[in-house]
Amino acid sequence: MSQQGTVFDIGYQGYSGTREGRGRARRAVFKDGLRTALGFGRGGRAKILPWFFIGLLSAIGSIMALVAGAAERLGGPGTAAKANLPSHVDFYGAASIILFVFAALVAPELLCRDRKEGTIHLYLVRPLTGSDYLAARWLAFLVVMVGAAWLPQWILFLGLAAGDPTPLVYLQKHWLDIPRFLLAGVVMAVYATTLALLTASFTVRRAYAAVFLVGLFTITAPFTAGLASEMQSQAGQWVSMFNLTNIPVHVNDVIFGEFSMVTADAPARLFPAWGRVGWYLLWTVGPGALLWSRYRRLSP
Amino acid sequence: MPAGQPLLTAEHLGKRYGTVVALDDVSFTISDGITGILGENGAGKSTAIKIFMGLLKPTAGKATVLGEDASESLTVRGRVGYMPEHDCLPSQVSAAEFLTHMAEVSGLPPKSARTRAADTLRHTGLFEERYRAIGGYSTGMKQRVKLGQALVHDPAFVFLDEPTAGLDPLGREEMLDLVRKTHRDFGISVLFSSHLMADVERTCDRIIVLQGGRLVHSGEVEQFTKETETVFIEVDSNREALVAALERRGVRVTVDGAGLTLEGPDESVYDLVRDSLVEAEAPLRRMGPRRRALTELFERGAA
Repeated sequence: MSQQGTVFDIGYQGYSGTREGRGRARRAVFKDGLRTALGFGRGGRAKILPWFFIGLLSAIGSIMALVAGAAERLGGPGTAAKANLPSHVDFYGAASIILFVFAALVAPELLCRDRKEGTIHLYLVRPLTGSDYLAARWLAFLVVMVGAAWLPQWILFLGLAAGDPTPLVYLQKHWLDIPRFLLAGVVMAVYATTLALLTASFTVRRAYAAVFLVGLFTITAPFTAGLASEMQSQAGQWVSMFNLTNIPVHVNDVIFGEFSMVTADAPARLFPAWGRVGWYLLWTVGPGALLWSRYRRLSP
Repeated sequence: MPAGQPLLTAEHLGKRYGTVVALDDVSFTISDGITGILGENGAGKSTAIKIFMGLLKPTAGKATVLGEDASESLTVRGRVGYMPEHDCLPSQVSAAEFLTHMAEVSGLPPKSARTRAADTLRHTGLFEERYRAIGGYSTGMKQRVKLGQALVHDPAFVFLDEPTAGLDPLGREEMLDLVRKTHRDFGISVLFSSHLMADVERTCDRIIVLQGGRLVHSGEVEQFTKETETVFIEVDSNREALVAALERRGVRVTVDGAGLTLEGPDESVYDLVRDSLVEAEAPLRRMGPRRRALTELFERGAA
């Protein structure tokens, strides 16, 4: 026996459920920022860049763990440390340029496209201010950057622990590395996120923002390093402070209480810890304030 | 919001940008229904809408939306919708994803946002195309997505800024039908901004006319239509005699190209034309009602 179904058009139904206002609006923009940064809900091409960089960073962490593990297995406990193989303190220094290029290429996607396509106007007519929008976008990219920074460090930590002949002893001896690399990762992410979004706020073309930032990071590093080595005393130290890729790595050094491979020879390391942290804050809070001022009074 | 209360009120509203006056002492109220806001470019339509959306602070007077001060309340924006004139759609995402996101940004929980997005896409005629990226849509479909994002959170009031801009005649007709449906079937009141009088006349119940930042007219569309309608006639010969006969009967005549534009005291103008044609022995070629050009109306308003 066949059964027949009937489709009824019940017409337009109004909405009488809850309206969660500004809080929901902020969370929605944050969630959209995460999806945009990672390419979710977009075509395949939008996923290539973020996942390439996350994969690359993870590969670096994995290789460091494999090399250290192999050294420990072949040469006995403590070989990796004696051979001065790179570890947690060195990771952010070694990977900083990759983290910054990642930020430079992906962060503009969160701000430039909304302004170029005019979607920003639709956000600002909803229960959301320009500051809310910016804070949600900033936080979304920060989360992505923190994830990209932490993931290889966790791989490295677990790899080193697993590679050690006595994993539990390794954990007991090195557990303090965990809060250190977590904090240093946040430091790296805040710096990269703020500078990348600030640059993106000046143009609607993502390519311009990306090229400018990549150029800034890749040019200032060898230029300031070369110039600082030519100069002596405090002038060289100050020039070295303008190596933009090293600014958060100096704070990483303060957190770990030792110098990383990248900053071990940088004249800026001679500045006291508070000076290096203050310099980092200046380069983070200043651009952050400028970025906020650009979106605070934004209206269509 | 108590029944019968105006949804929008403008009290002596003024807005200046330096020395430029965008709005000057404008007062009106808007109640349930479809209201057209008519004016040329730079008349102050968009400025008025932005003040009502709380995006601009007036330099004088006060604007209230749903009983709340538009420049103070952020929450009221969750109860109004806005369809801008310019491009505002992301090209990479699908209409379903975009409307769901916009519903959430308007304050709806995620599950309700998904349901509302699907419903809205069905009502705006985009349900079959909802999973395609918006970048591949036609202009008409994009206008529907723009309308959809303005309606997706079921607002009490929606501002539509030039919704027929860039549409072909068929698309324009469909959009105007959707605007009428928005109030008739969805129960959402509409403020419809346009510089096309025909669109406003065919869609709206009431009309507000702005010119140079000043209020020129506010009232029922029907009344406005009566006040602004003229009669256009063309004759084969004896035009001068006809003009004289018409003027003797108190009809104002303007020579308009090959024809004559007439303004009579009331609907009896057609009888006066008949009598004048007989008297002047002028063979009639064409006769019919005709709307004045918008610019002409504005010139009259300014005078």
